[in-house]
Amino acid sequence: MLSKILEALYTKVFINIIVGDTTSIVYVEVVPKGEVTSSYSQSFSTNVLDTEMHDYLKTAMSQSPYHYITILDKSLHQGAVPTCNETKNYVDISTLNSICIDKKWTVYTAQDDIKDLKYEYQSVGLDFIFSPFIILSKFFKDKINSSLSIFALVEEKNISLSIFDNGTFLYAEYLHTQTDDLDDSLMMDTIIDDEEISLDIDDSIDLDDIDADDDIGSLDDFGDIEDLDSDVDIEEFSEAKDIEEIVEEKEVSIDDFNDDYNKFIMIQNAINNFYHDEKYESSFVESIYIADSIGVSEDLKKYLEEEMFLNVRVRKISLEEELSEMARLEIL
Amino acid sequence: MRYSYIKPRKKTALSKDMQLLFTFFGVTLFMLFLTYSFLVFKDYRFDQTRAEILQEEIDLRKNIQEMKVKIALIENQNILSERVYTKNTVLKDSIHNLFDLVPGRITLSQAKIMENGLVLYGVTPNKDIYNFMLQAPLRSIFHRTYSSFYPLENGWFRFVSTNYIDEESSDEYK
Repeated sequence: MLSKILEALYTKVFINIIVGDTTSIVYVEVVPKGEVTSSYSQSFSTNVLDTEMHDYLKTAMSQSPYHYITILDKSLHQGAVPTCNETKNYVDISTLNSICIDKKWTVYTAQDDIKDLKYEYQSVGLDFIFSPFIILSKFFKDKINSSLSIFALVEEKNISLSIFDNGTFLYAEYLHTQTDDLDDSLMMDTIIDDEEISLDIDDSIDLDDIDADDDIGSLDDFGDIEDLDSDVDIEEFSEAKDIEEIVEEKEVSIDDFNDDYNKFIMIQNAINNFYHDEKYESSFVESIYIADSIGVSEDLKKYLEEEMFLNVRVRKISLEEELSEMARLEIL
Repeated sequence: MRYSYIKPRKKTALSKDMQLLFTFFGVTLFMLFLTYSFLVFKDYRFDQTRAEILQEEIDLRKNIQEMKVKIALIENQNILSERVYTKNTVLKDSIHNLFDLVPGRITLSQAKIMENGLVLYGVTPNKDIYNFMLQAPLRSIFHRTYSSFYPLENGWFRFVSTNYIDEESSDEYK
């Protein structure tokens, strides 16, 4: 009772940490009486909690005993599945932390990654860890309930991709574009069996061969939903292309390979997986909404429009503000 | 609404030191309150016991009075019983003596023992036997003695002997 009164009287400070590939942003919101009166942020050239960032966090924390530290989940082993009760059909829930959203779909992440994150930030402590899929669903709430579209939260090196059909969750994948971790992320995200990888490398298609015609052909296949089950080659084709992509990326890094193109490929692969994975209910998707947190170039938009014939809508997102809003919703 | 993978840590406006301080004071106040409550309770119980004892005292005093009355009554009854016993003993002795007085040749048919007198009815073979053997001792006991004789067919006499002790002597006897 007393603590509730004190909590109402005290100013709340919401500290949000966005960890990027090489930089971290700490965004602080001061909320005296349920309304944000001031906010400020600081960028640090590190992706771990170093002394400078620690001191900055401590200074922000010292403003009020009621401070809440929020971080966006960066686990490579996170995702979402379109059920709350039958999650075991999609993922092994025993090693995961999961949250059922609106009794319709579930977001999950690896317990170990949460533990690691808490361990890394134990000197300041963490209050909230949010899944980017939840941020995405909140951000596009108006669009999710009224269309069948792909919704993608594009960060520096990560893409949280989800597909909703008029409010019904269909599919989600967490994509990581970092070269070093690409193997792991692909292993997790696309659920490729080792055997398939080894079998398909030889038959894979060279990146140079990927042109508009091929994509149109594959898009035709996308449209033919009924034939998906029998058309195993497409899956193998796409997966093989991923593996080839890994090899290629290293080679063409000298040529400053377009990062947007890389992202495009990953999105394309994810959509392929959605169409081919029997566990998910497939629907033909014609539009994509991108929550852009880094400044997506026109190239990515162009790739998606020209190669996949998707209607692309880009909406700028301030991840730190969205994160802070989520934390406020949890508390206030 | 819970969308976070972890629960927020418990927040408090008080620092660890303040918490310790408040805990200490809280415990102290609690103990003081506990002691105060204990004393108040004991006081209340003491008052209650005192009232009970006072009531008991009143009851006991009342009982003592009642007992004193009962004792007096019992003492009176005792005196009365002793008196009755003495009287009865005297009466028994008197009767015994009376029958000892009557000689074998005289037959008593009725005897009336009164407060200060004795009336004897009986049969005697002749007047001399009565006069010498019964009237003589009766005269020594009673102040006044009157005798009447009625002759019977067989030559014997039916007699009525009335004897009285005077009032003064009777009072002394009592």
